[in-house]
Amino acid sequence: MADLYRLVYYSRNRVADGPEALDTAISSILEASRRNNARDNVTGALMFNSGCFAQVLEGRREAIEDVFERIQQDERHGDVSLLAFEPASRRAFANWSMGFVGASVHETMRYSGTAEASGFDPSRMTGDALFETLVRLAIEEEKA
Amino acid sequence: MRHGLTPPRHDPDRAAANGSPTGSDQALFGDPLRSASGPRPTALPEMATAVIILNEDREIEYVNASAEALFAGVDPIGCTMEALLTSCGARGVEAARLSSAADEPITCTRVHLADSRVLDCEVRPLSNGGFVLSLDDVTDHVRSAELANRDPLTGLANRTLFHHQLLDRLEVVKRNSGRVAILLIDLDRFKAINDTLGHPLGDALLRKVSARLTGALRDEDVAARLGGDEFGVIQSAAEQPDAAELLAARLVDLIGRTYVLEGHTIHIGATIGVTVAPRDGLDADVLLKNADLALYQAKAAGKGTFRVYETGMTERIQARRLLEIDLRRALALKQFDVVYQPQVDIATGAISGFEALIRWQHPVRGPVSPGEFIPAAEEIGIISAVSEWVLRTACREAMSWPGDISVAVNLSPVQFRNGRLLEVVTSALSATGLPASRLELEITEGALLENSDAVLAVLRSLRALGIRISMDDFGTGYSSLSYLQKFPLDKIKIDRSFIRNIDHEPDRLHLVRAIAALAKGLGMKTTAEGVETLAELQCVRSEGCTEVQGYFTGRPVPAREAAALLSSGVQGSSSREND
Repeated sequence: MADLYRLVYYSRNRVADGPEALDTAISSILEASRRNNARDNVTGALMFNSGCFAQVLEGRREAIEDVFERIQQDERHGDVSLLAFEPASRRAFANWSMGFVGASVHETMRYSGTAEASGFDPSRMTGDALFETLVRLAIEEEKA
Repeated sequence: MRHGLTPPRHDPDRAAANGSPTGSDQALFGDPLRSASGPRPTALPEMATAVIILNEDREIEYVNASAEALFAGVDPIGCTMEALLTSCGARGVEAARLSSAADEPITCTRVHLADSRVLDCEVRPLSNGGFVLSLDDVTDHVRSAELANRDPLTGLANRTLFHHQLLDRLEVVKRNSGRVAILLIDLDRFKAINDTLGHPLGDALLRKVSARLTGALRDEDVAARLGGDEFGVIQSAAEQPDAAELLAARLVDLIGRTYVLEGHTIHIGATIGVTVAPRDGLDADVLLKNADLALYQAKAAGKGTFRVYETGMTERIQARRLLEIDLRRALALKQFDVVYQPQVDIATGAISGFEALIRWQHPVRGPVSPGEFIPAAEEIGIISAVSEWVLRTACREAMSWPGDISVAVNLSPVQFRNGRLLEVVTSALSATGLPASRLELEITEGALLENSDAVLAVLRSLRALGIRISMDDFGTGYSSLSYLQKFPLDKIKIDRSFIRNIDHEPDRLHLVRAIAALAKGLGMKTTAEGVETLAELQCVRSEGCTEVQGYFTGRPVPAREAAALLSSGVQGSSSREND
């Protein structure tokens, strides 16, 4: 696909406290993004814990820019840090209109350890530690 | 449709207030229409104004050619006005108002049809119990009036409409003692984006900004584009200035969030000045001046923030001007000093270098904080001269230290803009004899945000000389990982906010671990800034940081004491740990 871009960000979540409020918020975010993403041919994965969202988006550049602008205007996201936004050669989440991975605190620990564990190759830094983590977690999720 | 825009001749309220029909109307609608079934004036069918006549049961019994054309495709005879208008998509309230007109001598209503036409309708009762309606298609007029008051790029109100709206709101405040806030919003760094990435992209960015702006407002708030990168908001709310402060904080956050646009990642900021009526005045010009003063204060506070007007702000601005005057003289009067804070190698516990930090001792003011005078120096354009003086002083004083001890000097983003940086650095090295390998230059993300290709070229040239480059305050700005890949860096300095209490904050621990691992993978060193306790030191050591700088391993000291620290051998973390 020509003009394929990948965007990776994380944000602090501002959803009200309490597991139920979180569950509801996650469901609504996932539902909306799956619906919109299927329409716009955007794929990706969302990781979430009580503290932050992390998300990878892939698709046509304009579509990605529109999705990211919606995220920037969404009250539920605070302190959005854009980690990467660049052309990609292929989709890493081709089958996921929006995969949801790594909901537990254990996964957060794993995410934090990624950079150490995977023996970074600077020439392939385009994906970021976060992207690698999401890909790995997505693969594990698919196997499970 | 905002009432402020309505031209007088189409203003329904005004027309209603006028009372009786004019002489020419009498001639048209007087005698010949005494009986609904009686003769029509010959002019009526050909009149440009659309005319509809209703019988006493409010059913349409006559339409002239213009009225027929207005409702083309519908046969109106025998319908009520309400049915006719509703079938054209008019709002129910408007249609009902027209239909129920009875007791008042004349009723005027503006009706909006589904096809976005706008009609001004005037109803007059006839002596036979029927009614005559004249309809005026004011669509073009309304639209052009609206366009004249709109910023064509963003669709927001323009300065003229903003001013009118403000006057209207202030009238309401005078009558009802409500409250109104004015927010003046300036975009930070917009000009640099516009200049480097081009005007079409700048325009697209302004549209995104205005979308974020309007998205944060309520329907009754007014948003305007007042100039190139200046916006204004009028917010009516009972709880002022609380509501305006909440909104301003939200806008600073929202507009300051990263934009992705045509493949570019763009960072701009918003600085906002707020004033509230009636507290700060009831005159539009006075209020706008107050908001401007508040905006100036917000800029002086370092931009990316907001300030609410306070009495005394004028005095503070005066104080700031005096500070600027003193600051301009400080260099010539030799009021600046450089002190040096040890940077300690975590593995060996030995001092590997010092960071040069500027101090300003004013004879009357006493010590002035760099947090106060550096932004002022940047604003008044003397930062390059001050930074150059620090660089030369640091290089000269570092020559008195033994061995390969390095000295780190901070660069201001401004220095990358004037194109002289490389020349200034090479000149400082050759004048003092300091080997390039002992000089480290600390940059902040702010330097990388603008015109990054030119910055990249300068950084490469500096590194080619053997100078090392550090990224200062990492983690506090946008912390884009793409910078780490794109720019040639030797060291990441992790901001003190991630280090403070790291032994009690698992989140910070994870972040520091990830940054250290990332840096290691990229072949960079990591310095933990602001280490103040042994527990913090132990944490950053176990998470893989390679250097440490902070009060625990050494406060900033004059050059001579720095040399003494080195020769005494009492240095670094290991000796302190054994204390």
